[in-house]
Amino acid sequence: MIRVFQCEDTLTGIMTGVYDAWDSRLGHGQVRLQTAQNMDLELFCEYVTVFPDLVKAEKVLRTIQRCMGEEAFEMIAYASSYPDDRKADALYRMIVLGLHLPDGREICGMLTQPEVRLVFELRRKAWHIAHRYMGFVRFRELKSGVLLSVIDAEADVLALIAPHFADRLPLENWTIYDRRRKKAAVHPAGKGWLILEEVEEACFCSQKESEEEARYDALWKIFHQAVGIAERTNPDLQSSFLPRKFRPFMNEFSGRQEASKGGRDLL
Amino acid sequence: MEYRMEQQMELSQKLAVLADAAKYDVACTSSGVERKNTGRGGGNCIAPGICHSFSADGRCISLLKILFTNECIFDCKYCINRRSNDVLRASFTPQEVCDLTIGFYRRNYIEGLFLSSGILGSPDVTMELLYQTLYKLRREYHFQGYIHVKAIPGAAPELVERMGYLADRMSVNLELPTAEGLKTLAPQKKRPKMLAPIRQVHQARRQNKQELALYRHAPRFVPAGQSTQMIIGASGESDWQIMKVAEHMYQKYEMKRVFYSAFLRVNEDSLLPVLPGGPPLLREHRLYQADWLLRFYGFGTEELLSEENPDFNLLLDPKCDWALRHLDRFPVEVMGADYHTLLRVPGIGYRSAGRIVKARGLGTLDYGNLKKMGVVLKRAVYFITCGGRQMYPVKLQEDYILRNLLDGKEKLSADAKDTSVYRQMSLFDDPRFSV
Repeated sequence: MIRVFQCEDTLTGIMTGVYDAWDSRLGHGQVRLQTAQNMDLELFCEYVTVFPDLVKAEKVLRTIQRCMGEEAFEMIAYASSYPDDRKADALYRMIVLGLHLPDGREICGMLTQPEVRLVFELRRKAWHIAHRYMGFVRFRELKSGVLLSVIDAEADVLALIAPHFADRLPLENWTIYDRRRKKAAVHPAGKGWLILEEVEEACFCSQKESEEEARYDALWKIFHQAVGIAERTNPDLQSSFLPRKFRPFMNEFSGRQEASKGGRDLL
Repeated sequence: MEYRMEQQMELSQKLAVLADAAKYDVACTSSGVERKNTGRGGGNCIAPGICHSFSADGRCISLLKILFTNECIFDCKYCINRRSNDVLRASFTPQEVCDLTIGFYRRNYIEGLFLSSGILGSPDVTMELLYQTLYKLRREYHFQGYIHVKAIPGAAPELVERMGYLADRMSVNLELPTAEGLKTLAPQKKRPKMLAPIRQVHQARRQNKQELALYRHAPRFVPAGQSTQMIIGASGESDWQIMKVAEHMYQKYEMKRVFYSAFLRVNEDSLLPVLPGGPPLLREHRLYQADWLLRFYGFGTEELLSEENPDFNLLLDPKCDWALRHLDRFPVEVMGADYHTLLRVPGIGYRSAGRIVKARGLGTLDYGNLKKMGVVLKRAVYFITCGGRQMYPVKLQEDYILRNLLDGKEKLSADAKDTSVYRQMSLFDDPRFSV
């Protein structure tokens, strides 16, 4: 009988799952990890729900950092933010493998191992999405001077991009709201950033935009128009770099109203 | 007759004119410098750079790319802003540029500023204006984002030096690869004058490197290096000449990038070529591919081209082309070949070569692994063995490989396809025979 540990789809959730699965002492072949959304039940499996536990997760993460190095640690953290049903189990297998190596740091190069390769791929995908959002996030200034941005990201990138923006705009109050996950990264001026969970978009969007906002919005649209060369027009190239799913949230491509009505319906 | 009187222009109108005038500059990269915020103003830089948007032509918009002014005393034939053209002229003030940059930067529209300029009055006057703008931005607004600024050829060396401590990247456009081309199309621009600031920045950067080794917090001089740009197809030079110049720039002046810009006929002039098929975009693409081979793959111009064979094969990318001419070096054994040999295999890039070298020390590779690691097998398959085996039997013959590589490869424009190798054979066909 295989025991399946169903964990929450967060880094804490998965790491708690890793702790519990190992701690069950059934043997690595007898346990499996799953993120909770995947509901295909199997007959000869026993299902256990794992409740995220910060203490357990921290223990696992500390061990990873100590025995497998900073690179593997980052790889695991990034991979856990990408939505993929296989990730929890792959992370578990990778950690098991890494902790059994004489030098755990070598794990990042072991791309011949399917689990490590999967984690490597997920890390890369998550980084690509995060990197794109570093560029494609558009802030608008509200009456109170707060900069607000709404995104609808495929991966859970808020925690990946927030440090970048916190470094970039340290003296601004800004918020990035993830519509798909109902989470927000909030940064008060001159302080550190934090993530709010289970918040409604209306909490942020009730305020009107500032007067300056419309002016800069118009200027940016003018610039965006002017900088393209007509003789080289190449919409295919443009959409391969900037896929259409991002555009409802970017002011140069659409009106603000459309984005706030619901970006995904537009496509 | 209508007269255009000089009048106060709106900022939006100025932006439209001066962004439009700057669009022919290729460089819009924000890479090459890593800088954390100091906590005083806004902005930071990350080494890979960030693209913030893409314009309708598919080029990245990373910086606020504008001219400070499009009033120019020069009369270069290819340039839209030449003195003899009747176009709307405008100039920013330093304050306006700062407002735009800060306003856009806060909203995450841009990564920084790209400031170029027409020559207003004299090179010194123009450079002084650019300097004032940058000074205001860096010292008054404490802006710490990316700044790319043009060094104006002919400006005083002190100005170039002062500017270098404020900017991240400086560039001087070579415009045309050869001095003769420059003489016909841009008679007021002189090659030695253009090279002077390049040389100066290069030397100052070297000196600065030593200072930084001694004092970690010494001010950094042009930390993201220099770049330059050449117009392709305006004055009839060969790819070999262009690549030679680029290689020289990389080796002698340690340039970060050389950009190539397919010639666009924006002015009517008898000295400019007529290009009925539009700008030579495919040629530009091949030059960029070769440029990458120079910078990351350890190739030299002499290997890719020669005086007898001065142009790239438009049908094949330069690396495949090279490999086909050097079949004696293939196949390469993936499990055994060193990194530099792997780099020369078509379909293996510098990242996948690195991954192969790392992974094969820890396990045996097969073709499935290679594919997952990012090797493009449809090209690489002709040139590699893995564990002593080919993926499937392929002949190591030039014709065979060429035919297969061209099958379903990248989309080529119609005029390039016409010169394809496919043609009806006749009994008397002999490639060595020509009338």
